[in-house]
Amino acid sequence: MSHDAHPYIGFEEYSERVPQSIPLAVQQATDRFVGGRAARVAELPQWEELRQIGSDIRLHTIENMDVYLTRLEEKVKLAGGHVHWAETAEDARRIVLQIAKAHNVKTAVKSKSMATEEIGLNHALGAAGIEALETDLGEYIIQLAGTGPSHIIVPAVHLKKEEIAALFSERLDINAPADPIELARIAREILREKFLGAEMGISGGNFLVAETGTLVMVTNEGNGRMCTTLPDLHVAVVGIDKVIPDWESLTVFLKLLARSATGQKLSTYTQFITGPRRAEGEFGPKEFHLVLLDNGRSKVLKDPVGREVFKCIRCGACANVCPVYKNVGGFAYGWFISGPIGAILSPQMLGTQTARELPYASTLCGACADVCPVKIPIPAILRHLRRRVAQGDEFAGPTLPAPIRVTASIAAFALAQNRLYRFGTRLLPLLMSIFKRGDWIPNAPYPLNRWTKARPLPPFTAQFRGWWNVRSSKRKDSTR
Amino acid sequence: MTNPVIENIRRSLGCTDQIPLSLRPAIYKSRLPESVDSEIERFLGEIKKLSGVSQRISPSGIADALKALVAEQQIQKATVWDSPYLKRLGVAHSLQTLGMELVSPNANEHEMAQCDLGITEADYLLPETGTLVLRSSAEKPRGVSLLPRVHLAIVRPEMLRADMHQVFAEAKDSHYLVFITGPSRTADIELTVTLGVHGPKNLYVWIVEE
Repeated sequence: MSHDAHPYIGFEEYSERVPQSIPLAVQQATDRFVGGRAARVAELPQWEELRQIGSDIRLHTIENMDVYLTRLEEKVKLAGGHVHWAETAEDARRIVLQIAKAHNVKTAVKSKSMATEEIGLNHALGAAGIEALETDLGEYIIQLAGTGPSHIIVPAVHLKKEEIAALFSERLDINAPADPIELARIAREILREKFLGAEMGISGGNFLVAETGTLVMVTNEGNGRMCTTLPDLHVAVVGIDKVIPDWESLTVFLKLLARSATGQKLSTYTQFITGPRRAEGEFGPKEFHLVLLDNGRSKVLKDPVGREVFKCIRCGACANVCPVYKNVGGFAYGWFISGPIGAILSPQMLGTQTARELPYASTLCGACADVCPVKIPIPAILRHLRRRVAQGDEFAGPTLPAPIRVTASIAAFALAQNRLYRFGTRLLPLLMSIFKRGDWIPNAPYPLNRWTKARPLPPFTAQFRGWWNVRSSKRKDSTR
Repeated sequence: MTNPVIENIRRSLGCTDQIPLSLRPAIYKSRLPESVDSEIERFLGEIKKLSGVSQRISPSGIADALKALVAEQQIQKATVWDSPYLKRLGVAHSLQTLGMELVSPNANEHEMAQCDLGITEADYLLPETGTLVLRSSAEKPRGVSLLPRVHLAIVRPEMLRADMHQVFAEAKDSHYLVFITGPSRTADIELTVTLGVHGPKNLYVWIVEE
């Protein structure tokens, strides 16, 4: 089975090409969400306790993922659903296409899903002659525009209403006014017809409850309900990291998710789907398929530091507070997931060769970790991944030249040994005096010249240890 | 029977066959209910904050309230859950008296989508968030709360639960549940809040006190 080779993610290059309108629009969105979240969090005195429990449960689930996934599969089947395991993105696309072909599907309606973005499902369906239509308003707009999302929750926030009106007029052959309410009405009418005619609904999922085999989906517009209520066939593509133990756990995550994401107490519609419909007249699909997507996740689990990324419940709060994200928007991160969480997920899933710039796309200010509802230690994982990039790992060789790595290893060793450290503090000033010109060192020898290329190095002038000893003996004298 | 994904996970986690599952970390305790009256007020208040319309009503007031709603929303076609309680309140009968065309709640989706109004009950109510919890069955089809442009839920105080914990304990074996918290909304175009993008544009909730 071939692994999809993802093109190199040139964060620096992408971010230089970001048009000025994007950071402005993105910041309007992030400011709104940050304010909303703060208000909701202030209402809940037990917020910090909830975060801790959320973090504990997610960690527990990651460490026992095999057990919970096995239970989930058993329960979904018991409820009359079909379960498919997809080791790779290619497997997942093949499975969905097979299901679609077996049911003679011509049109599929899609609810917003990051897993299907991850596997590039729309393209595969299109190539097979099946119309795959995004139905979340923002996703519908960017599908018409043929671009990627700039924000996890409001994917088309970078487009002005005039641009959307022009897009609708051109692509839908109508006369669309530049008014958000009218544009939403037009989309409702067009998509309503599609919902009623589609043979297949495709969705992602926010959580999978192992206890009963239940798919939990959270949406605001109602398109998620349409996709899972009207067509006779529902296929959900969900990452294996979405599994949670039971409904009691779910109470914690539902309380954390919407508050962190949009500043709502709950999103408008939360659906709990356990298998297909039971009765003819109740609506809902005759057939329910769950595609469990691995696509590299099981390998990421090997790294006990990095795997905490799977605690994520995809609220986007980390991106909303990130000073880097706010200045470049979603495109620069080069994959379906952006912001700080993307910076720690993409290098682990795509490899540190492909996404080696992303761990550096951060100031390490720590705002993301402060707001994360499940306490993912994002800055710590960023540093960990920087080390993997620099020193090399299973995906890629080291990016740092050998002399620097050797120097760094010697420094790390020496700093950890008391005697060597003391010897070094005496030796270094002597070595430095060779390169000193006046009060500064303007040109250090290779490999330390990486520093002096940018600014001169101040030579060491005082020894803390000596100063401390003198100070302590003076204090002893004075207290005597 | 096992599969490659599970095997890969076990290898990565370093699982040595069937270690008993450690206990799931304990969950924070649920919210405590207040008096019925303040729970009702909180519930109705939250719905108003979400741009829904909510009120307390007596069984004898239903017919008049329906008349006002039909006029206000210019309703012509309606569909009603076929449940014993709504029958006892005479909801469908009142609508017929008002000259409404009634569509069966089990009608196909094309007919259902032509309805202006869908009337349901709710199986549970969450006051803290203003949430309606609906199960699904042939008597309580999902389309009624989704396809018409106006959704009216006629509910009772007995359905109030303090927190999700109680709802899940009672309903987790249902094959389908939906939480409805306010009318359908989006802010996808220039962050302008727009109601009714796919689901109902207007949500009415009447809580009936005998």
